[in-house]
Amino acid sequence: MMQFKALLIKELKEAFRDKRALMVAMTMALMAPIMIMVLSKTMIKEMIETPPIYLNISGGEFAPKLIKQLKDNNIFSLEEADNKDKGVWKERNVGLIIPEDFAQNMMEGKVIEVVLRADYSEKALNSPLRRVKTEIRMYAQSIGAKRLIVRGIDPRILQPIKIAEQDTAKPSSNAVFISMMLGLYVLMAAFMSGLSVAIDSSAGERERNVLEMLLCQPVSTLKIVCAKLCCASAISILGVILTLVLTSFSVGFVDLTKIGATFNLDAYMVIIIVLMLLPISFFASALQLFVSFQAKSFKEAQSTVSMIIMLPAMIPVALMFIDNKPKWLDWLPVSGQSLLMDDLFKGLPVNWAAYAATAAVTIAITVVLVAILSYRLKSEKVVLALS
Amino acid sequence: MIEVNNLHKSFSGAKKQQVKALKGLSFQAKDGEITGILGPNGAGKTTCLRTLYGLLKADEGSAIIDGIKVTENPLEARAKLGIFPDKFGLYERLTAYEQIDYFASIHGLQGNEKHQAIESIIQDLEMEELAHRKTQGFSQGQRMKVTLAQALVHKPQNFVLDEPTRGLDVMSTRVLRNFLAKYKEKGHCILFSSHVMQEVAALCDRVIIVAGGKLAAEGTPQELCDLAGEPLLEDAFVKLIGSDEGVAA
Repeated sequence: MMQFKALLIKELKEAFRDKRALMVAMTMALMAPIMIMVLSKTMIKEMIETPPIYLNISGGEFAPKLIKQLKDNNIFSLEEADNKDKGVWKERNVGLIIPEDFAQNMMEGKVIEVVLRADYSEKALNSPLRRVKTEIRMYAQSIGAKRLIVRGIDPRILQPIKIAEQDTAKPSSNAVFISMMLGLYVLMAAFMSGLSVAIDSSAGERERNVLEMLLCQPVSTLKIVCAKLCCASAISILGVILTLVLTSFSVGFVDLTKIGATFNLDAYMVIIIVLMLLPISFFASALQLFVSFQAKSFKEAQSTVSMIIMLPAMIPVALMFIDNKPKWLDWLPVSGQSLLMDDLFKGLPVNWAAYAATAAVTIAITVVLVAILSYRLKSEKVVLALS
Repeated sequence: MIEVNNLHKSFSGAKKQQVKALKGLSFQAKDGEITGILGPNGAGKTTCLRTLYGLLKADEGSAIIDGIKVTENPLEARAKLGIFPDKFGLYERLTAYEQIDYFASIHGLQGNEKHQAIESIIQDLEMEELAHRKTQGFSQGQRMKVTLAQALVHKPQNFVLDEPTRGLDVMSTRVLRNFLAKYKEKGHCILFSSHVMQEVAALCDRVIIVAGGKLAAEGTPQELCDLAGEPLLEDAFVKLIGSDEGVAA
């Protein structure tokens, strides 16, 4: 125990004196709230504002009433745009073609074909095109309804069934983009924050020739591995806590009620998430130590370990595309925690059974990694890699 | 007391070629004596010493430290050793004192006993000025001293030093020499490898000459000179290993 204490104290001392590595670990945490704030602000802006749209209208003179209706709703012809907007909308090139015989067909009650031409795959055009379509449809519907009324028919006859939508989602699940990002982000923080410490204390020590000396001391490799693991995970957990605390502070500045969403990250949630990520931090650090102890140099370790960082980024993203999630995903490390966090952010109660299961599996894998690693450090291959 | 019996060790090199580093090396280093290992580069000195610390496992034969077989009980055997390895580095973010403290704790020293042990080794190696500086930027000689201090802070019965004088200036070499002589008087067993003939001649009670992974000759420096019929140890060494190889090292 005394040996372990000495090993751990030394690892912590080294980690906290390595200012550069510590900075890198903590920038991750500092960036999170900023990113979430900026992204959610722009998203809110897009959702609630209706900025003017400029269309390349040809044949507008054939349908003055339609053009007026569009104008009333902030949709204009390209000629009316000021210089700043003109360039943008010219490039977007959204065309509205109104046929010559618009008035004629309108009189005769024939179907009029109005062409809306644009690059529909362009994401920036999604919302403007939706607005243009809605306005034209409304205009058409109002004329249709008037025609029916003139003929003495109730327009409601065209709508035998009306769907009344009732959303059972908890209010906070509307803030799904924030929760998704935050979930991804804290997972990343768990993996990233301890990274430099893990590499430095394994491959870095090997490169500086101090590992060989430690390995010839009367101390078991298990203790060495555990001390390094505890140190790296401590930094990793620190990163997670910092991310969460700063985020809970910064979401206060974003007014989500504008889009009818609420998102709060109170102390209770922070504690639950930290508890959830505690095993993940150990797992991540064990994985990083495992890989970087096999590497011959700091650089080699860095390049292999960066593959591991893909794990927390890929798994939650992949999970989004799986609609019918198989049960075992609840138990696996990273995926289990990611799913639990989704529920937590949606305001659902925590599924403690799933929580225990995924924690147990994560810890089991970590223990296995530590056991293999401490066994491998006894082998002379490790020594040979040194020389 | 360090005993090495019939050590064999081979490494599989590139293209599955076997490199035989040790071919049946045997020797003893007794308590109260300084034993020097001499040998040309690549003779197997470091391999032999690494087997002693249990970093390498011998294919055949055994290393025994104070009656404990290294292969059977490496941790207990290492506890009786003070090791100055072939390759060493320092924890550059720790001070010299902290680093020595770290190794003292690993060897199970604590409290006042630890504090005294550290202070005494710092005094013995004349490194009071270095003690509370971070080891980053230390000169080769200063690094040596820190490494020596951490290796010997727990006052092990057996010292194993792999070329401890490389890069040391004359003053530091003398400090080290006096230090080793002092511990010899106290009955410790000291085994060290070196390339410097004067040093071996001046310091060692017995010399073991290793060449090609085997024991080439052993005895006091004087005995070796007589054996080879040369007045100087250097000439005797060259004659005994049977080639000029390694002289320039």
